[in-house]
Amino acid sequence: MFSSNPFADLTGFLPPLVMQAYIVLMIFAVPIGTLLETYHKGSAKFFAQRRKKAAAAAQRRLSGMETASLAARTIAEAAVSGEFCKWKRRTSHLLMMYGFLLHVITTIVMVFAYPEAARTPIILPALWDIGALMILVGGLWFFFFLRVNVVYDGDSPFHVGRADLFVGSLIGTAAFALIWHWVQTAGNPTASLILFGVYIFFTTLLFGSVFWSKFAHMFYKPVVAFQRRVEEANGSSDLPNTAHSHTVRSF
Amino acid sequence: MPTYTDMTRCDGCGECVDICPSDIMHIDPVTRRSYNIEPNFCWECYACVKACPQQAIEVRGYADFAPLGHKVRVIREEKKGLVFWKVMFRDGRVKEFSFPIRTTPWGSIKSPSDYEAPDPSELNSPMLSHEPAALKVAKLPTLPPAN
Repeated sequence: MFSSNPFADLTGFLPPLVMQAYIVLMIFAVPIGTLLETYHKGSAKFFAQRRKKAAAAAQRRLSGMETASLAARTIAEAAVSGEFCKWKRRTSHLLMMYGFLLHVITTIVMVFAYPEAARTPIILPALWDIGALMILVGGLWFFFFLRVNVVYDGDSPFHVGRADLFVGSLIGTAAFALIWHWVQTAGNPTASLILFGVYIFFTTLLFGSVFWSKFAHMFYKPVVAFQRRVEEANGSSDLPNTAHSHTVRSF
Repeated sequence: MPTYTDMTRCDGCGECVDICPSDIMHIDPVTRRSYNIEPNFCWECYACVKACPQQAIEVRGYADFAPLGHKVRVIREEKKGLVFWKVMFRDGRVKEFSFPIRTTPWGSIKSPSDYEAPDPSELNSPMLSHEPAALKVAKLPTLPPAN
């Protein structure tokens, strides 16, 4: 049922070049939004100051090998969302992260490499749908049951604020990708066109709102985690060293 | 000395919101990270600092009486039942020490919800909930009746 390339059916009214140009535009919107947000919030300046301070307080210099090892460990931690201390949030984050990657990569491959329906390998639209489904499951679980303002701060599960711009537009993109694909497969061209419009609205909102949303966290979180590991390794961390305890417990 | 959340470290787990006895740790509606909504009401109890699994919360003094570079940082180790402190003074001295924070393993204490609901008539008793049994004594001393 979901074995057709959803973008190939659009070529009747939307040339592949337009779709490709849109994707390039969205890809450029991410670094531009991230840079503007970093500049506006002064986070790059804050981070640079912290790094300089840590470098001055370092008790030893790390070798290139050690730094590379720390970078590899940071990437490994980010790949399994190891920074989360609660398994539910970690599982939901993993579903959204890998679903998003799967959905975006298959979109790019289908639009750039297979603009014609006949030549598209079945696995690509299947993975595109699986990616959207993963985002939807992880996203809705997070939105209604795991959002910290809902669970701990007394907000209603239906409360929507600026902090939800990223996750909301991500859920909207995934939901309307699936609905649009389903309606397109069922053969209703008018409804399919309307749903495609809604899908594009949420996609544009997702990539175009980086400056206002939490999209950029996927770039700065690993950078901060790496810096934290560097500070622990070179002795400049301000946290206590838990290996120094001489207290003996009876249990 | 109010608490301060490092946004780059906070992952928005909500532990500090849950534990704050003054109910001043809340979630920022823009960043969905914790922040202190009323710094001058902070008791400096360090509960949120110790509860934070990401070590994202610091307590720092106002710049007028505790300026420039002092720091107190904490790590709580549930498995070891210890809390580790690192105190950095303004003159550069650093002191580190650890304290036992439990005499029983983590998670071994019954939650209040695991106890039976007390009889409403006990509201008139001077005893606190589940006393004297919870104190492992048969009877608590009482004041002699007034003449």
